[in-house]
Amino acid sequence: MAKAKVTFSDVNVTVNVPVGTRIIELSEAVGSYIAYNCREGDCGVCLFEVIKGQENLSELSKEEKAVLLARFHEIMEGWRATNNLEALQAKMQRENFIGKHCRLACQTQVFGDVIVAPI
Amino acid sequence: MTQPVWLSERVQWIGAFDPGMRSFDIILKTPNGTTYNAYAVRGSEGVAVIDTVKAECAEQFFAHLEAVARYDEIKVIILNHLEPDHTGALPELMRRAPQAKLYISQSAQLMLKALLNRKDLDFTAVITGDTVSLGDRTLRFLHTPYLHWPDTQCTYLEEEFILFSGDVFGCHFCDKRLYNDKVGDFRFAFEYYYTHIMRPFREHVINALALIEPLTINIIAPTHGPILRDQPTRYIERYRELSAQRLQNEINAEEKTLIVFYISAYGSTTQMAEMIREGAEQVPGVRVSLYDMEGGDTDLFVDLVEDADGILVGSPTINGDAVKPAWDLLSSFAKINVRGKLAGAFGSYGWSGEAVRMLEDRLRGLKMRLPLEGVRIKLIPSLEELEQCRQYGLEAAEHLMGVNAPRVLEMADLLAARKQTTEELSVVTI
Repeated sequence: MAKAKVTFSDVNVTVNVPVGTRIIELSEAVGSYIAYNCREGDCGVCLFEVIKGQENLSELSKEEKAVLLARFHEIMEGWRATNNLEALQAKMQRENFIGKHCRLACQTQVFGDVIVAPI
Repeated sequence: MTQPVWLSERVQWIGAFDPGMRSFDIILKTPNGTTYNAYAVRGSEGVAVIDTVKAECAEQFFAHLEAVARYDEIKVIILNHLEPDHTGALPELMRRAPQAKLYISQSAQLMLKALLNRKDLDFTAVITGDTVSLGDRTLRFLHTPYLHWPDTQCTYLEEEFILFSGDVFGCHFCDKRLYNDKVGDFRFAFEYYYTHIMRPFREHVINALALIEPLTINIIAPTHGPILRDQPTRYIERYRELSAQRLQNEINAEEKTLIVFYISAYGSTTQMAEMIREGAEQVPGVRVSLYDMEGGDTDLFVDLVEDADGILVGSPTINGDAVKPAWDLLSSFAKINVRGKLAGAFGSYGWSGEAVRMLEDRLRGLKMRLPLEGVRIKLIPSLEELEQCRQYGLEAAEHLMGVNAPRVLEMADLLAARKQTTEELSVVTI
């Protein structure tokens, strides 16, 4: 079976995994500080940062994308928002911010080497 | 019926007294009640109402308001904080003054929707520097989130140097003389309120003070307790003191502190704690303190935890649970901010040994960082097991300093190790 390396930079642990493994299956066992709440892609708590290898992760599902957008809106509290939330969302997607550097650990599958970290 | 109180020719207190209140938000004791302070500001082009009161006290609020303004004069309603004790009278106020525009903080938007459950809601979300004009009076907003909710803000009346501070600088103290130079001794209430309401948000207090301290301030008008017109800046200074770390810790910037709390029935968990300290002290830059929970009280421990970088908690398992002093300690963590601090648990046990995993779950629930699985030892620690404790202390300290050596694991081994612990637990529990 094809293998991939997942490195959790906060605890300095690399795990050799079969491709298709989700981050959620590993992060708690290695003690990484990615937090979970609903564990099914709904709440957005398990947001993590992709430091390297974003191209080796599963595609964003429609649900994950929606949660990420909502979560980012919250995170950008303090920004001079948002008479025009849609324009801001479009910009974030266009610049590939969502889905490239930030994903949900309970959804994302690994298909090649990546380095990840809690946010 | 009480009368509105005039802070100046253009500014009136229109709040409500609640002398009978004895506990607030479940967690606070209020031995002489509280006040809900709301204010009216009159400009040449209309009136602003700043905050309202609890629903049960709405009658006082509307009577005070009607004594100083007509409903059709109200142009602006400012909500510094959406908690129901300040927004209870809001729906009725909006009904009586439908033309008034709502001003809330950026972070209050979703909360306002959830609070009023109305679809057609029209409001302006503001941030630091935004202003709203009443003609010859101008109200400027200060974004001061998490004091003590995500939505909180302060509002500054530029022409009169009055800071409407929301719950910041407030306290639960009910005295109809209302001014700090007239009321009874409320210093205890002021400090108690800070400790229980503001302290968990210390970083946010410091950020807010940076916005507030440069202002010229004649009066601080909070939403609870006395209006601070006599030497108002003393209260700002007190917040500065309270938000600073208590005793200057004698550690360098490069050093980190690890506190090991433990409690032991027959000395096994004590031995573990001592070995963990020994291991942790091997890592340069880590300052370790050891505390027996049996000999202390959680109110004092919580001060230590607030300043510490890492916390390890050791408890034996008795009747399938960690012991009460350990739970008391963890429950006191809600008074401060422990998010992201390193944490871990350990303990000795007789036959089942659930305590460590339960403590770990709670520490994780407090959003602390648990990079290592805690050590559980059956009955008296053997030499090998003590060595395991030393190793655990060493690794915890390495994580604290960010110097832990890289490890490479196979997924199958990782999951097998986890499974083994879980099975071991479920078997012995039966």
